[in-house]
Amino acid sequence: MANLLWLQGGACSGNTMSFLNAEEPSACDLVTDFGINVLWHPSLGLELGDNLKKLLNALTSGQMPLDIFVFEGTVVNAPNGTGEWNRFAGRAMRDWVSDLCKVANFVVAVGDCATWGGIPATAPNPSESQGLQFLKRDQGGFLGKDYKSKAGLPVINIPGCPAHPDWITQIVVAVATGRAGDLTLDEFQRPKTFFTSFTQTGCTRNMHFAYKVSATEFGQRKGCLFYDLGCRGPMTHSPCNRVLWNRQSSKTRAGMPCMGCTEPEFPFFDLAPGTVFKTQTVMGVPKDMPSGVDKTGYIKLTAAAKAASPRWAEEDIFVV
Amino acid sequence: MSAAVQTLDISPVGRVEGDLDVRVDIQNGVVVNAWTQAELFRGFEVILRDKDPQAGLVVTPRACGICGASHLTCAAWALDTAWKAEVPRNAILARNLGQIVESLQSLPRHHYGLFMIDYTHKNYSHSKYYEEAVKRWSPFTGTNYELGVTISGRPVEIYALLGGQWPHSSYMVPGGVMCAPTLTDVTRAWSILEHFRRNWMEPVWLGCSFERYEQIQSYDDFMAWLDERPEHANSDLGMFWRMSLDVGVDKYGQGHGKYVSWGYLPHEDKYNRPTIEGRNSAVLMKSGVYDGASDTHKLMDQVYTREDLRHAWYDEPGGMHPFERVTKPVGKNPVDYDNKYSWSVAVRHDQNGRLEAGPLARQLIAGGTHGESWQHFDPLVLDMYKKLGGASVMLRHFARMHEGVKLYRQAEHALREFRLNDPWYVKPTEKDGKGWGATEAIRGALCHWIEVQGGKIKNYQIIAPTTWNVGPRSDGGELGPIEQALIGTPIADMNDPVEVGHVCRSYDSCLVCTVHAHDANTGEELARFRTA
Ligand code: SF4
Ligand code: SF4
Repeated sequence: MANLLWLQGGACSGNTMSFLNAEEPSACDLVTDFGINVLWHPSLGLELGDNLKKLLNALTSGQMPLDIFVFEGTVVNAPNGTGEWNRFAGRAMRDWVSDLCKVANFVVAVGDCATWGGIPATAPNPSESQGLQFLKRDQGGFLGKDYKSKAGLPVINIPGCPAHPDWITQIVVAVATGRAGDLTLDEFQRPKTFFTSFTQTGCTRNMHFAYKVSATEFGQRKGCLFYDLGCRGPMTHSPCNRVLWNRQSSKTRAGMPCMGCTEPEFPFFDLAPGTVFKTQTVMGVPKDMPSGVDKTGYIKLTAAAKAASPRWAEEDIFVV
Repeated sequence: MSAAVQTLDISPVGRVEGDLDVRVDIQNGVVVNAWTQAELFRGFEVILRDKDPQAGLVVTPRACGICGASHLTCAAWALDTAWKAEVPRNAILARNLGQIVESLQSLPRHHYGLFMIDYTHKNYSHSKYYEEAVKRWSPFTGTNYELGVTISGRPVEIYALLGGQWPHSSYMVPGGVMCAPTLTDVTRAWSILEHFRRNWMEPVWLGCSFERYEQIQSYDDFMAWLDERPEHANSDLGMFWRMSLDVGVDKYGQGHGKYVSWGYLPHEDKYNRPTIEGRNSAVLMKSGVYDGASDTHKLMDQVYTREDLRHAWYDEPGGMHPFERVTKPVGKNPVDYDNKYSWSVAVRHDQNGRLEAGPLARQLIAGGTHGESWQHFDPLVLDMYKKLGGASVMLRHFARMHEGVKLYRQAEHALREFRLNDPWYVKPTEKDGKGWGATEAIRGALCHWIEVQGGKIKNYQIIAPTTWNVGPRSDGGELGPIEQALIGTPIADMNDPVEVGHVCRSYDSCLVCTVHAHDANTGEELARFRTA
């Protein structure tokens, strides 16, 4: 029986909503099949009239063990490092987080806000938000870069805006069933099993990418979204086209450029004018290259790909 | 001898999103005064300033992960009106469909996950329905809880077919949508809808076919339906209704008796050149303001919107229209009930004062004969409202669930009307200007105001349904809608104020709520509870 506590800081509940879409296992299965004891969750559970503060105090004092602490949303530090702009149960949320992380066996940051700061930390970051152990690409964040939970692991980062439900339930089940030893984390503390391949891996527009055939406008069934519409699929570590969303699709399959939401820089370029859904180029060449490709290689590849492009590449292959 | 007033501070109230604290004064076991207090500020409007005009499409769905599609709808329509974009009919249908399936998702999720579980509370162990309630609605393990929460993920699979994922896609853009569904997407969407209807809506929620349910036009029809067959009485709707009466949630949670809706679901052939002024006569579900006291309906216009900041933590003059706002949070935010005590502003109508937003508001407005002849009309909830003597926790929740069949029909309409070979997007020209986009999220009136100047956002303002409902007192001291609705709530057990949770959750406010208990005379804190 693993005790799990889930709290939200500067959050939109998107990760909770995503989590509720999980099917194998479902959110209910976590409780009924895996014996996870959800002590409290902001939008689930009963315990009416319960004294939450008492429960939290029992956890922070070590009276009750905290196996898994899941945090969704940013750590809000405003104003001036006090955290008073996000109070919870009569106290700054950041103070609860700090105390709970001291006693938790595992700490799981779910979604971009909890991992890197996400949208609330976008300039000018009015809420002085941080991720648990990162702020954008910089390690440290709220807990500091040396932080380790009681089981000896740093914060397990499950990024994404929101995180995919399978990424969440799989990690929670892995931890709750004693498989944390099989988790390997990358330099951003993301489980490698999910975050080594790219969004582009499995994208149905991949053949168009290869032949440099562009979707020049939205609402087109053909073409890659990289060349004109700002898709970050080749530079983003995510399994969105392997582990489909809502069992059905992915952004790029549906025609929406990947915004790179599993990477610490999301939202890229801080949403400056001219950067949203438009590929940033220098003299016709994309500023951000597919991971591992350099500019000269790209230019050569492009020329070859264009020359080799088959006729079907310009046709509507996903026909009505 | 007058009984001492006791104050109950509930923090957080729970099972809603964000953080809401509620303070109630209690006398003779009844709430006599109340304050609602939003306790989280992320500053999305501040973040959006000086950004790309399209930044709202990325940022605002993240204002609320529960109704992100509704935010996206507003963001897209706001830019459409600012840029004077053309929106093809396929795109209007695809936007509507996205929003509808998000709402369909929310029905079982809110019903089981947030609302019905309170009926398993030990307070109601005396009820003759209690045993059955525990069996059906216990969190995680209840038979219908598990079914309902799990199946709630299905409608948004359709959202994923359109936008790649739910929550948080940005597939609606000025000029249309990013997707171009194929025949297989449409047939797949149909089968998902059918699955949702055949496995939950008809057998579990209604206990009858849609066709039978759609015959209900009045309170009397409804009561006759309830008695007609055991399947009706024993459905989750039948049980909800009967147990609600038995435990008395039909007796409190009344509120102001004045309601607002922006209207929603633009008609696919009537809003292709969207303007702020043209919206009222282009939406299927009509907009309006309903005043229960005088039983009058009027159309709603965004120009009447005002934001009072007297009791909200902002350093700006109050009484402004959102286009005039600058969003300047105070440096320090101590709770001071005589002055500022919430991040939520007090929204009001220039002529009608405080208004309640939400599904009940929508249904009361749907019963009005104002608006265009082709617009949606449904007299049921208005009739119930009059016959039952006004609003209550029960009626508010009923109104929310009643919408399901109607929304489902609109989803069918969108799927039927898509012309797969016609355009989904017409590239607009970016320009400066002012725009407004509105809709009805499942939990009520939502809108965005944008001003683009010099190719970037000069001002972006959002008023969410929760802003209307959880707002603090207005400049003139009028209570916020939930504050008002809490008055008169009986509290059976000061140590366990489940009734306060019922009232808050009947609004489905998008905030996590908390209650703190005080003795008002001594100011001493008695206890602090969450009602989740
Ligand atoms: S659309 Fe994006 S993810 Fe797909 S192939 Fe093109 S660049 Fe890659
Ligand atoms: S496709 Fe890109 S933006 Fe979309 S969820 Fe995956 S990583 Fe995030």
